[in-house]
Amino acid sequence: MTAPGPASPGLARRAHPLTGLSTAIAVTVLAFLVPPPWGPLLLYGASGVLVAICGVGRAIRQGVIVCLPLWVFLFLLHGLMGGGPTRSLGPLTLSADGTIAALVQAGRFGAIITASLGFYHAFDPSRFLNAVAARGWPMHVSYLFVATLHALPAFLDRAGASIEAQRTRGLRYRGGAWARARAVVPLALPLILGALAEVDERAHALEMRAVAVGGKRTPLDPPADTLADRTIRWSLLLLVLLALVGRLTSWPM
Amino acid sequence: MSSRLLALIPLAVAINVAIGRIVAELSLPVYLDAVGTILVSALAGLGAGIATGLISQVFAAFVSGYVWLAFAPIQVLIALLAYFAARQGGFRNFGASIVWGCLLGVAGGALSAFISYLAFKGVTAGGVTFLTTVLVGAGIDLPWAVALSSLVTDVIDKALTFALVGVALRSLPVRMISRYPLALRALGR
Amino acid sequence: MADVTFDGVSFRYAASTIDVLDGVSLEFRAGEITWLFGPLGAGCTTLLLVAAGLAPRHTGGTLVGAVSLLGRDPQATGSARFGQIGFVTATPELQLSGIAATVWEEVAFTPANLGWPIERIRSAADRALRLLGIEHLAHRSPRTLSGGELQRTVIASMAVLQPKVWLLDEPASSLDQSGRIRTYELFRAEADAGAIVILASEDADALSTVADRVIVLNDGRPVLDGAPGVVLAGDAIWDRGPGSTSIAGLARAAGRLVESPLLAAPYPVTVAEGLVRWR
Repeated sequence: MTAPGPASPGLARRAHPLTGLSTAIAVTVLAFLVPPPWGPLLLYGASGVLVAICGVGRAIRQGVIVCLPLWVFLFLLHGLMGGGPTRSLGPLTLSADGTIAALVQAGRFGAIITASLGFYHAFDPSRFLNAVAARGWPMHVSYLFVATLHALPAFLDRAGASIEAQRTRGLRYRGGAWARARAVVPLALPLILGALAEVDERAHALEMRAVAVGGKRTPLDPPADTLADRTIRWSLLLLVLLALVGRLTSWPM
Repeated sequence: MSSRLLALIPLAVAINVAIGRIVAELSLPVYLDAVGTILVSALAGLGAGIATGLISQVFAAFVSGYVWLAFAPIQVLIALLAYFAARQGGFRNFGASIVWGCLLGVAGGALSAFISYLAFKGVTAGGVTFLTTVLVGAGIDLPWAVALSSLVTDVIDKALTFALVGVALRSLPVRMISRYPLALRALGR
Repeated sequence: MADVTFDGVSFRYAASTIDVLDGVSLEFRAGEITWLFGPLGAGCTTLLLVAAGLAPRHTGGTLVGAVSLLGRDPQATGSARFGQIGFVTATPELQLSGIAATVWEEVAFTPANLGWPIERIRSAADRALRLLGIEHLAHRSPRTLSGGELQRTVIASMAVLQPKVWLLDEPASSLDQSGRIRTYELFRAEADAGAIVILASEDADALSTVADRVIVLNDGRPVLDGAPGVVLAGDAIWDRGPGSTSIAGLARAAGRLVESPLLAAPYPVTVAEGLVRWR
């Protein structure tokens, strides 16, 4: 897992963290509101352009990698094996309705995952924490999320070390399914017990560092929330509301 | 939220991810990515379990796409059933863990199938969707194929997860487990 | 009036049948470094946890007796004690905030949680970094630090509060010799400025010259209490405690081989005392 990057250049770095989050959420909601069949596909294209402009273009390639198996299964399940009238495409006989449904869903996946990964690559945990602290949001939720983000790489390293350590002790984890299943306990148990053994001391330290005190936390270096940021967020909200009205009143399901 | 939960929950989420990776490394057809959620529900109660599950789902969505937030209700269900199992001594031995895991697998599989069909047209992650595709190819209608594949994979997955959490709880030293009164009840003590 | 008092305190962890602290009555005063010394399981760490209000509130267990810290019960909820206690243990990696991107943010974490104004946080954090000699690490990620750098960062994270009470459990264990000396000098300066410093450690060689008072615990009870130069020089520290400094141990062991008044109790506690006696 590559870490989210505060080093992303361009607009992504300069924008307020909540603007990036709002954009990703707006794309997610719009993916289900824009009129099919072309709406989701156009939205996917727009997401790609947006992340490229914002300097997190690697989200496009990563999005394709994540989406590819989903697209293949959509094509198989709905295009090739879907019901209703069929059309021939070369050697293939495709379900017309199924193919369209697959394209719509593929566009949704593409749009949402590209926008999400764009935010991921633009995400700076420190800026995010300071931004929510500046807004007076309760600290605990953002603390849990960012603390998890920080804890995960070291924990994954421990998992890797656990696998290596057990392997040098003779644990076999290649072979039949049963042999591999039996390997789960000696690999997983040390991780679980080690984590639980740390909880007390971590909890004591957090307690003495006033994490559970409540009240307003001072933001250390809050990012600027510019007029442009606020305009973008309000515009996104308006866009989502318009799409919702359009969907409820006139657009096909 | 107490300091203990602020220390425990990030580690539990990390356990979810790390054990999911171990299982992937072992090329096993299960996920085991709710070990931390079930563990916290059994140790610290329903609220902490739900928080762990939701943070895990948010994290998964954060790194792979917000589309996966649709499965957030599954996390609540996992925490709820794990908490209920703990109150009933559901981790007191291997057999009890498997039974409760199967129950969660049935409930979770049903809800998972519903969300998968409604929001994703039956296409979600590799293993389950592969099974769905095989079943559709064998002539089963899509909704039933989604339901069947979700149920089968979830029952196996959650039974194994409960078994693993039970082993972990029974391995904890007395001094550590006595900090969590619910865990003592989960072990039938 | 003593600033930290234990009055008939017994403590037992949950699911345990043994009192880890057994009828402890002690007073700790401002301006002193009190060194808690004892074998494994003696109760030194537990005494610190009780003083901090972490036991039994966070550890579970049963507490009997009264503890007072700066005139308040440390078990009471609320933020009364925050900002007044510096709490450091031997495992710095477990004491990190978990969310700081830089050492500076790590040090500023607690004041930010307490809602201090940003200007006060900045000056206090800069001061704490200078005190621990880690200004050059300010922009580094805590994950890239060595064990010693991490330990100093954690101490700085408490020093930023300018606490009135320091509760320390092997605070220098990750440090090299010069780092340990520098750390103990810091706590010496804190005590001289009026703080109460209670430090649990097995580092007899260093603390024999730094601490004002040593309390030897065994089986949850204080068995010896006095100036380190006196307590560590006798045979009782060997009979009822974990042993003394290296020099005292050498003298005692040599005295069993060779009968000589130069090698009899009271043993020299430091190298300097040994040189004076044996010159």
